[in-house]
Amino acid sequence: MSEVTERVKKVVSRQLKVQPEKINEGSEFVKDLGAESIQSIELVAAFEEEFGITMDEDAALSIKTVGTAIEFIEKHLSEAGKNNE
Amino acid sequence: MKICIFEDNGFENLYPLTYLRPICGLRCGKTLIFEKIIRAFPDIKISFWVRDYLIKLWRKEVSPLAVNDAEALKNDDTLFINSRWLFIDTKFSIPGNEEIGKMDGEIVYALVKKTQMAAISSGDISIWLAKLKENIQVKEVKVKLITYPWDLVNYNADAIKDDFNAGTAKIEGEFSPQASIYGEKEKVSIGKGAKVHPMVVIDTTHGPVIIDEDAVIYPFTKIEGPSYIGKETQIHGAKVREGSSIGPVCRIGGEVEEVIIHGYSNKYHDGFLGHSYVGEWVNLGALTTNSDIKNDYSPVSVYINGEIMSSGEAKVGSFIGDHTKTSIGTFLNTGTVIGVMTNLIGSGGVLPKFVPSFTWYLNKKFTKGYGYKMLLKTAGVAMSRRGKKLGQEGLDVLNYVYEITKDKREELIARDKMG
Repeated sequence: MSEVTERVKKVVSRQLKVQPEKINEGSEFVKDLGAESIQSIELVAAFEEEFGITMDEDAALSIKTVGTAIEFIEKHLSEAGKNNE
Repeated sequence: MKICIFEDNGFENLYPLTYLRPICGLRCGKTLIFEKIIRAFPDIKISFWVRDYLIKLWRKEVSPLAVNDAEALKNDDTLFINSRWLFIDTKFSIPGNEEIGKMDGEIVYALVKKTQMAAISSGDISIWLAKLKENIQVKEVKVKLITYPWDLVNYNADAIKDDFNAGTAKIEGEFSPQASIYGEKEKVSIGKGAKVHPMVVIDTTHGPVIIDEDAVIYPFTKIEGPSYIGKETQIHGAKVREGSSIGPVCRIGGEVEEVIIHGYSNKYHDGFLGHSYVGEWVNLGALTTNSDIKNDYSPVSVYINGEIMSSGEAKVGSFIGDHTKTSIGTFLNTGTVIGVMTNLIGSGGVLPKFVPSFTWYLNKKFTKGYGYKMLLKTAGVAMSRRGKKLGQEGLDVLNYVYEITKDKREELIARDKMG
């Protein structure tokens, strides 16, 4: 499990009060993990805080599963890393 | 002779109420500020001078009256009237010669002759008027000039009385035989199509009550005068205490006291709102409650144009920008200033005293929430429910305000992300 995956799962577990073993990359935030609309906003804020990133509104709205969140964050961090080289 | 109602830079002290409208579009009493000026000068052509970004939207609102039209003013003597002048209890008569009326150094009015009007051009009219001062005689005057948002609230009861006296009290709507008037019956006006249900009490002992056309007052409501209930507004078993003005198409429940609420806003459920001013398209969730007095009765402090200051007043409630929504159980502190298009989620304690426009406040932190596009979408849905549309002019104004409020919003969101 990559470091990003582990941290994403921790954030999701903490925010949505779901046991970590019940979270997998295919889990949908709303359907499988029971996220209410307000919790979705809290999740985005928590991802931004955890990884020091800014998720624009279109990206945030397009993220429906844990896997797409991991993908988005990894891509964002990799691009930020390239920019900092 | 023409009249031009102009905005000076006093709009900054009246944010967030003046983000989406010129000062003269603010409500005080039954009417908006400019409507009182039109009423005072029924035979004179009125035009407006507003901030540039509001021109198109205001033209749409007041059509066919002219807005920022220098050409229209060039060929006549013009009386410039400050938008902040609350035209009530005034014995003003138009001076015979050129004259500037000033109060505490601020221009209240200026009568400018045709010969000088040729030099008028587009831009900030208050700068042009300030230059004129050098040549025109100045008269010190004492009028009701709106400087801070709480002035509107404090003058509201007098404005309602003035509006009532300017009209003709009539009972044209339905007044149930099981409803009652406590006090003088002549101080009640009920417009055509309005309905006052059984078990409603209207108390005129402190002033008149105006219920406008097609408003519906449901059972177990008590309305104390002076108060104004706007067209098509519904009052649902509420206590409407004296000094309250409710605009058109609102839904009001719970308890309100000395409040001004613009049109299309809802405070449907229980909860107290006092000494407050609420913009258009606002929805206050059930049990949203504000404080309007401190426990030690000391003056309430308020954020005015980004800086905290003492209002000098013991009773000051909240100032809530257009399109804002509060969740159930939201508690607002004394002197709270909330920007336009915010979403406030009550988290047990009182909210911060300043909420920047276009933010969410959730779990005691500012966030961008779903972002601006989603806020616009929600506003579109809310407006369509009442058969209205934002329109390009409204959208352009919101886009502009989104930009000018960006720095403070981003600063507070970044601060809360860090901590």
